[in-house]
Amino acid sequence: MSANCPECDGSLQLNGVIAGEIVVCPDCGVDLEVTAVTPSLALALAPTEAEDWGE
Amino acid sequence: MDEVALLTGLLEIYSPSGQEGAAVEYLVGQLRAAGLDADVDAAGNAVGACGQGAETVLLLGHIDTVPGFIPVTRDGDRLNGRGAVDAKGPLACFAAAAARIRSLALSRRVVVIGAVGEEGDSRGAHFVKDYYRPAFTIIGEPSGWERITLGYKGSAWFTYQVRRALAHTSTQAESACEAAVAYWNRVAEWAAARNAAQPRVFEQVSPTLRGMTSASDGFEEQAALRFGVRLPPGLEASALAEALAGLAGEAEVTLVEGVSAYRGDKNNPLVRAFLAAIRQAGGTPSFTVKSGTSDMNVVAPVWGTPIVAYGPGDSSLDHTPHEHILVSDYVRAVGALTSALTTLCA
Repeated sequence: MSANCPECDGSLQLNGVIAGEIVVCPDCGVDLEVTAVTPSLALALAPTEAEDWGE
Repeated sequence: MDEVALLTGLLEIYSPSGQEGAAVEYLVGQLRAAGLDADVDAAGNAVGACGQGAETVLLLGHIDTVPGFIPVTRDGDRLNGRGAVDAKGPLACFAAAAARIRSLALSRRVVVIGAVGEEGDSRGAHFVKDYYRPAFTIIGEPSGWERITLGYKGSAWFTYQVRRALAHTSTQAESACEAAVAYWNRVAEWAAARNAAQPRVFEQVSPTLRGMTSASDGFEEQAALRFGVRLPPGLEASALAEALAGLAGEAEVTLVEGVSAYRGDKNNPLVRAFLAAIRQAGGTPSFTVKSGTSDMNVVAPVWGTPIVAYGPGDSSLDHTPHEHILVSDYVRAVGALTSALTTLCA
């Protein structure tokens, strides 16, 4: 299965992934979330990661 | 179960570390009334369970708070009280979600724990870490209902002590107090140099000076410092102690206690269940890492299974006199957690 990175438009070839899995774009390094595998592979930018105080 | 009344009831019982007994009894009673098997364990933690199966989903909250009672009042959506966010809000969220799913056919056992001592020596979590081997763990700490916490920095406490023979001030010899100040400045410079290539606070070494004392017996003077350091992933307290001792010359640096940073993986069924649950509830999920520490630092390295922290509330209110939670945030978190647990236990 293949899809394009929504950040850099690079092509990703992914096999055996599942919905919700987070993959890294080999071209731009951004985290991508697999949002669907059927009927075709779909990718979106993964949720952002912040940092804050708390304990 | 009246989920808001559960939280209000917990807030009304003042339970700073070491005085959790009444709150534990209250929570156990509430869990039993909701149909869970509940009791107090050997460490004094409140424990409730439901479901069957060889594997466990562990919801590890804490029932103690920092000192300082805040009167429990309701102002519209805002519920004020000590522990509203840290961390009775997340703990009540855990209990409420477990109560919602308890009558479902669960493939895994769900265990809710209100641990004692998290704001002190984490004695409740230290007991739990040796007693369970959960498949999935959710730590009860505030992140807001749409946010999933992946990790916490570590922390370490040190003391520094230096002695100098007393000399007349006209000699311009360095005094013990001057040596201590110079040492602290070297620590700050060392940390700044190490942090220069680390723009994220989570990856930085963060020293804070917490105490200074000095004394003299007429022949010798002493100066002592007490300081803490927040540790990034990859820096162990013992390695830091060596580096700090190397800056101290003949003075004595002692590592009092330390816990390592921990950052969990985000590519696992636990995180995926939360992402889907938050979206299903109409939210936009995001991740965070925290500059403080929690019971995640204690249990996660031992268990080595997927772990996140989750719970309603604004963590910037932790330990403040303005601690409060939005009831709407709490109710949404109960819904999202219920959905995530239903997925994990399907």
